[in-house]
Amino acid sequence: MAVVTLDRLTKIYDRAHAPAADAVSLEVRHGEFMVLLGPSGCGKTTTLRMIAGLESISSGALSIDGRVVSHVPAKDRDIAMVFQSYALYPHMSVAENLAFGLRRRSVPRAEIERRVKAVAETLGLAGLLDRKPHALSGGQRQRVALGRAIVRDPKVFLFDEPLSNLDAALRVSTRGEISKLHRRLGATMIYVTHDQVEAMTLGQRICIMNGGKVVQVGPPLEVYKRPANTFVAAFLGNPPMNLLPARATGEKGGLAVNLGEATVELPAARCPPLAPGTAVTLGIRPESIAEHPRNGGLFASIEAEIVQVEALGAETILAARVPGMERDLMARIGPESDAAVGARRSLSLDLSAVHLFDATGAAIAP
Amino acid sequence: MPALKRALLLLLLCLYTSFAAGPFVWAAMLSLRTTTEIHRNHFALPSPAHWEKFSEAWFNSNYGIYFANSSQIVVSAVLILTIVGSMAAHCLARYRFRLNRLIYFVLFSTIIFPPQITIISLFQILVQYGLYNTKVGLTLVYVAIQLPLTIYILESFFARIPSDLFDAARMDGYSDWEIFWRVSFPIALPAVATTVILNFILLWNEFLYAVVLITDEANRTLPLGIQQFIGDSQEDVGMIATGLMIAIIPVVVVYAFFSEKLIQGMTAGAVK
Repeated sequence: MAVVTLDRLTKIYDRAHAPAADAVSLEVRHGEFMVLLGPSGCGKTTTLRMIAGLESISSGALSIDGRVVSHVPAKDRDIAMVFQSYALYPHMSVAENLAFGLRRRSVPRAEIERRVKAVAETLGLAGLLDRKPHALSGGQRQRVALGRAIVRDPKVFLFDEPLSNLDAALRVSTRGEISKLHRRLGATMIYVTHDQVEAMTLGQRICIMNGGKVVQVGPPLEVYKRPANTFVAAFLGNPPMNLLPARATGEKGGLAVNLGEATVELPAARCPPLAPGTAVTLGIRPESIAEHPRNGGLFASIEAEIVQVEALGAETILAARVPGMERDLMARIGPESDAAVGARRSLSLDLSAVHLFDATGAAIAP
Repeated sequence: MPALKRALLLLLLCLYTSFAAGPFVWAAMLSLRTTTEIHRNHFALPSPAHWEKFSEAWFNSNYGIYFANSSQIVVSAVLILTIVGSMAAHCLARYRFRLNRLIYFVLFSTIIFPPQITIISLFQILVQYGLYNTKVGLTLVYVAIQLPLTIYILESFFARIPSDLFDAARMDGYSDWEIFWRVSFPIALPAVATTVILNFILLWNEFLYAVVLITDEANRTLPLGIQQFIGDSQEDVGMIATGLMIAIIPVVVVYAFFSEKLIQGMTAGAVK
């Protein structure tokens, strides 16, 4: 276990106009499972590679357990990494792949054999030790890659999108195995992914990145429920949060939201004090929109035409067109919905679950 | 219908095999016959077979010396080519540095020059450095002429090795030098075998550079030795054929040893 501290870590590639990672500051605690989440090109893999020692650090400092390791070679950082492509040595057997790192560290032969055997048994690879990687399935290769990291017993584990090459079913089971592994080893793990389901299910905390910068860090549900800005709001959730242009009316300090031709009034109690005429963005999650009008509470009804229905079994995703609105409103409703394309519905918006963002996109505290 | 297809395929294969192996079999038969017998009937079977011609060529016509010279020069050249070529290819494929592509282009562009263009200057250089008429000189020339093609073949293979493998080896604690020998080189063995065979066959049969740069009897290679039997007015066809058979044996052995890897190298679509 170890504490990994990133202090304004920056990476600027030669001839690049913008930094790939821009002053990334983050502390990963003892035994924590931290997920770096973001779209492609957001700098998460670059950050991970800087932690691993595979990329030089342009500026800032990286420390592990208080010791600055910014210029320490990868091999001396006591870190193991699982790669997206598994990166198994194709000319070596599974046993040789597992033992390769230990051999370099002059671990006695008997100890290598013991550790390889133990890891192989834990990961269900005992019968595959003599096989070459090309004779393994994708899931088996992934387990060998995991085993290669575990067998070294490092301070920190790094994962670079390790599940992205697996099919959907295998991804779910391997996700569970990684989670179990973390609970068993209690090691500090940093996991890079662009898949929000992986991030939400695996991470104790997630660090959302965009354009090389850290946008928000926090427990998954906290980040989901209280996005720091419109980027996080739109990035997390499938379908993402509906983001609607709105303007403060000034009447009783409330907020009027223009939903196409209709206007929805948000009571002053749900709004921070805003100057009349202030332009804001109102966000509402698809699950906060119901198919039928509701009484009581803070609900607002709006007439819309259903333009798309995605019945997923456990739930149904509706895309609804509100007259005069540029974008369709996305709603997640129960599986019992009988909505059909072309039908008109009076959708109910839960006003107690709305989010407000200022003109720069930053969340406005209620 | 499938039987007919199969028969047709077999017939085509037989025809191609006779076309490919025919000259070899004919040369093998000639090697066991005397020149007089050959002049009498070009295509007769060797009856009786003159096996003594091989010992005669080996001991009385200096084939033993030529064979030893060829082996020494070609094996050294192929060894240097394999080591230097694979290191250069690994470097060009793996590391990003200024002028990487320019160096690669300059190296590779030298193969467009026909040997007749470079041979005079090579001759002068070897004379200047006291390497003319030496085995070391010819070995170095062989390395120089084959290095661009070797690098070209190997670079394209090394470039296909995923960089994650190198990163994984670095995380496992290995230096760049160790990564080359323990990861890159073993993975690239099929391509390396391809270059070994190509270089070996090309250099073993090489004549032009050898005939210009070697004049001493003691330093002659096999192709030069075979040429001795070609006179101004007549040729000792029987002994030429015997010499050819002696020269072919190592090529067949090398090919048999590396052919599996050669096929892997030629058919490798990607490193998995």
